Amino acid sequence: MKKSFVIIVNVIIMAAILTFVVLYSRFENRDSYRRQIEHFEKTTVTMERVTENYLEGEQRICDAWAQYINRGNMTIKEAMDYLRASHVIEDSSTHLIFLDTLRGLSNQPKQGTTDDYSVSYERVDLLEDASWISDIGESINITRTYTNPMNGEQSLAFCNRVTLQDPESGTYKDAVLMRVIPISELEQKWVFPQEEFANAELSMIDADGDYILKGYSFKNSSFFEFYKSYNSTDPTSSKELFDRITSSTGSISMLNSHGKECILAFTPVVATTGWTLLGFVPAEDLEADMENWLLPGVISTGLLILFLFDQFYMMQLNRRLQVAVMEAESANKAKTDFLSAMSHDIRTPMNAIIGLTTIARKNLGDAKSTEENLRKISLASNHLLTLINDILDISKVESGKLKLNPLTFSIVETVENLVNISQPMVREKEMKFSFHIHHMEKENLYTDQLRLNQIYINILSNAIKYTEPGGSVSVDMREEYSTVQGSARLTYIVADSGIGMSPEFMETMYEPFSRQTDSRVSSIQGTGLGLAITKQMVDLMGGRIECKSEQGRGTTFTVVLDIPVAERQPDESRFDGIDVLIADEDEIFLRTAAEELESMGAVAEQAHSGTEALEMIVRRHESGRDYRIVIIDSKMPDMDVVEMICRIRSQVDADKPIVIVSAYDWSDIEDNAKEAGADGFVTKPVFRSTFDNKLKEFLGTEIKSVEAEEDDSDLKGMNILIAEDIDVNWEIISCMLNMLGINCERAENGRICVERMRTAGDGRYDLIFMDVQMPEMNGLDATREIRKLENSRASTIPIIAMTADAFSENITECLNAGMNGHISKPVDMKMVIREIRKIKEMNEKE
Amino acid sequence: MKKSMYISLIVLMVMVLSACGSEKKEAETEEGFKPSLDTSLSCNINVAGGYDNFEALEAEFDRFNEYYPNVELKFTKVDDYNNMIGTVLNGKDAPDIYVNNSWMYGREQYKASIDHAEDLSDPALGLDLNCIRSNIILNTNDGTLPMVPVFSNTYGMLVNNDLFEKEGLKVPTTYTELVEVCEAFREKGYKNPMMGFSKAEKTSLFTVTIYPYFCGTVANDAEAVRKLNALESSAGEYLRPSLEKIVQFLKDGCVDLEACSEIENNYDAVILRFFEGDVPMMTCSGDTVSGTKKRESRSEAFISKPFTYTFVPVPMSEEGAYFLDIPNLQFSVNKNSPNIHMVNEFMRFLITSRELNRMAQSKGLMSPTRDLSFDNMYAAFGNVPESRILSPEEFGLTDDAVKQLRQAVYGVGTGVMTIDEATAGYGTFSE
Repeated sequence: MKKSFVIIVNVIIMAAILTFVVLYSRFENRDSYRRQIEHFEKTTVTMERVTENYLEGEQRICDAWAQYINRGNMTIKEAMDYLRASHVIEDSSTHLIFLDTLRGLSNQPKQGTTDDYSVSYERVDLLEDASWISDIGESINITRTYTNPMNGEQSLAFCNRVTLQDPESGTYKDAVLMRVIPISELEQKWVFPQEEFANAELSMIDADGDYILKGYSFKNSSFFEFYKSYNSTDPTSSKELFDRITSSTGSISMLNSHGKECILAFTPVVATTGWTLLGFVPAEDLEADMENWLLPGVISTGLLILFLFDQFYMMQLNRRLQVAVMEAESANKAKTDFLSAMSHDIRTPMNAIIGLTTIARKNLGDAKSTEENLRKISLASNHLLTLINDILDISKVESGKLKLNPLTFSIVETVENLVNISQPMVREKEMKFSFHIHHMEKENLYTDQLRLNQIYINILSNAIKYTEPGGSVSVDMREEYSTVQGSARLTYIVADSGIGMSPEFMETMYEPFSRQTDSRVSSIQGTGLGLAITKQMVDLMGGRIECKSEQGRGTTFTVVLDIPVAERQPDESRFDGIDVLIADEDEIFLRTAAEELESMGAVAEQAHSGTEALEMIVRRHESGRDYRIVIIDSKMPDMDVVEMICRIRSQVDADKPIVIVSAYDWSDIEDNAKEAGADGFVTKPVFRSTFDNKLKEFLGTEIKSVEAEEDDSDLKGMNILIAEDIDVNWEIISCMLNMLGINCERAENGRICVERMRTAGDGRYDLIFMDVQMPEMNGLDATREIRKLENSRASTIPIIAMTADAFSENITECLNAGMNGHISKPVDMKMVIREIRKIKEMNEKE
Repeated sequence: MKKSMYISLIVLMVMVLSACGSEKKEAETEEGFKPSLDTSLSCNINVAGGYDNFEALEAEFDRFNEYYPNVELKFTKVDDYNNMIGTVLNGKDAPDIYVNNSWMYGREQYKASIDHAEDLSDPALGLDLNCIRSNIILNTNDGTLPMVPVFSNTYGMLVNNDLFEKEGLKVPTTYTELVEVCEAFREKGYKNPMMGFSKAEKTSLFTVTIYPYFCGTVANDAEAVRKLNALESSAGEYLRPSLEKIVQFLKDGCVDLEACSEIENNYDAVILRFFEGDVPMMTCSGDTVSGTKKRESRSEAFISKPFTYTFVPVPMSEEGAYFLDIPNLQFSVNKNSPNIHMVNEFMRFLITSRELNRMAQSKGLMSPTRDLSFDNMYAAFGNVPESRILSPEEFGLTDDAVKQLRQAVYGVGTGVMTIDEATAGYGTFSE
């Protein structure tokens, strides 16, 4: 459906609703207006009743007086005396007027006098023709508003004919009795009672349209003249209208003197002859206009807002759908690309493994060729493993299931691991490699070591991977103050002189499956997942990752993490006054190492070359203050390290400890150096604890030969129970361990393992390697069962998980089940040996 | 498409909302009048007069309400006004503004009407008295101004312009032209080229035609005026030229008295007779002219055959016509009014050329202002040279003297008395 069509339909519906509302409002308005007019008419009729009652009441008083006067055959004086006695209303007055002279008497004296009661109506056009005054009791006889000749007040009078005796002639003369009431008195009483008609006014007109009582808005002296003055009409229509007004009850619309529409309600005053009561109110007072406009106004605004909101929402929805479609397409393409890449990336090492295995099988007699093939198979296998691990990690990251499993660990181990892993490639590419640490005071930290390793390894391996042979990679790690309480801020900077990245790629480099389009890159093995995983993990750990890169110049990655510090840190010893010589061309190493040693109390001196170091050693020797220990870098610029050791030993002393430090794999020089007199080897970077250990070791505190570390013969004779259901796995691990002289016993599943432990005597097994996924009873349940056994050894025997469940939560599960460690498959024999040795040492301490 | 649709809808919404809003229209601001009091003040102002109705003044009330919407103004008719106004002023219903007359000034009987009046010459009131023709403003002994004219009156004749145009005649400006025009009309078959009310002396055609002429003969003669005012018998001789003129006027056959006698009164009947459409000239006062507009719709002859008409001075001398300028209706302010400040504010509003002209045009009377050109009906009087504009107020002829003249000229005109009898009887005539 087209958008324009939807909009048009919306507009049509809105217009239809609005039209309906407006029409309905108008109808309601008109209906309400009509009802209000009817109500006003009824109110006017009610007022007519009230008026009539009042007029009749007043007229009855006048009638009663007239009857009394007529019955009494009174003179005007007698009649006035009677009226004065009867009259109780102070503001009104009573006049008796002879019709022949239009003169008479008033009950009140003339204004400004006290005894002048004479009154004249000669100049008041009122009584010349008295035929309008009917007989007593027949109707209401009321004058128009006129000026009371006695006091000048605008008044009206209720009248009756009376007959008065002339005291002189004794004859009777017609006269009029007038009960005169000031208009101001009436005006106060004669108002519309309803509040909604606050602006309504009343008037009373006679048959000719002349006002008897006149409201403020009524103009002219005649209502009909007033109507004609402000309303367009013709004589015929006027006459019809006036006839209607004076003969019926109803209402009309007319304009007032301001040109405003008003409603005139009219009704005859029944008790009179031809009088009409008029109600007059502004039409706007009867209209409920405001509310009716408010309703369509609110509805139209509401509809418009709703319409705009819907449009906005639809736009947003469409935009999101478009983005979703693009993302889906992109994801689909990425997945296709990924599958294609995976197919390629997996097949490549698999091809190597299968091919090399075939070659090895055919050349079993050629030991050297077989060894080379096996080494290559091992490399391909490791790559395949990394690939699989990355794929699993990214799937976890994307599904949001990646969680941290913090453990206490030593950063020293992490760094050693980092260096060890990187060494093969560094050596292969003949790179210049340096690893500096600064102020690493807190060595035991508490976080997910596995993830931290992944972050550091990913960045470092990328740096090495994407740097041409002969290039340089430098790593800086420093500890800084952290704003997070109980944490240390670790800044990890890896700079390389590699191929660098384009700005375009940098924008998307943290997205999964993204690899730079570069002929040099395509030849490098990679999944395009490493940076995505790294970024997700850094975010998960609350850190930040930054990258600066320039194509052809190199890349620098910086990772900053606030890592909680473990409660317990390595114990430190003091080496006050111990003289130490450090020889290295690396200024940074010299400075940092000297700082560390001096902070431990030692006196560290620095030599920047082999020659300088040799001179300093000789000079010291001659002065009888030999250095207690000499630390020499394996690659001095001016002198081979083996030659240097030989010269020290030959010129100075054969006993002083000489320790070789190296950022590289020292295996090539190891034998020669030992032969020349080297006492030990330390991998760069050298941590505080490393210095501590080495100084203690060589200064006699804890002497242990270097060779002992590398000699696995101490493990010989150990007994290990291995719970493993897969035959080939059992075969591999048992074969490897047997090679070390370790006795292995197999349990095919967890239940058998538990049974073995139940029946085993104390000391039967030193250790259990426990697979996790096994038939009948898995490794976790088996561990829990073992820990429950009454056998005292069962509760303490070390149980190490050996499983393909390699995620950190799997490790946690294992530890929670009661295991003591975790080795993931495929197993790294170095790690296996390290774990076994740890346990052996632990057992020995016990 | 979308954008234009949205814009259209927003415009629609604004229009709908605008339509929903109430339109507040500012009151038309008059350039000349600026309220000096708090416009939210409320009070009642009562204007008393002898008119049955006073729509022209009520229209002014409405205009004043545009500035002061809460002030209620009303006009009240007082019966037997001249006799009652004193009583009314001393009573409970004392008006705030009331109609006054120049002739009441100095007469004991009307003392209250003068005593209650505020001095309107006080500059603090801010009344624009300069807009009124000075010759109709009352001259008092003490220099105070108890009343100010709101209308003026004069004598002249209604002219049926269509007939003059139809017959190719010009409205006469000298006495000879008047006689000639009458003759020409008669020759063209018009039985009554000139008519007027003749049944009573007040505003009879004799008075209307000769009173301005008479004023022209004595206006510059202070001695004559003094004697006339003193009603000295010898002053009758000052009437002789005017009486001779009226006799001559009758002899010249300008009017047919018998036909004139059929006109029952000096107001409705005069107008309705003129509206018959066969009388080129009808003498009357400005008061009568004020009733013409309303009576157009009452005259079937005029409705069926309307025509244009104007009011012009009657040329009774060869030098031309006189413009007798008389104050008609004057307003006084009751100095005891409880709302004196607002009453004065209303007077300040009313006594301006614009409002007085509006009110005069509405009422159909001559405006008291200096500019008469705004109203076609009276424009001819504005063309009369200043030397021929006369005002009894100015040269001091009293109302009593004028009454003597009216009686004398009516007697001579109707043939009841001779010129000699009339001049000899001066000072003895009563109504």
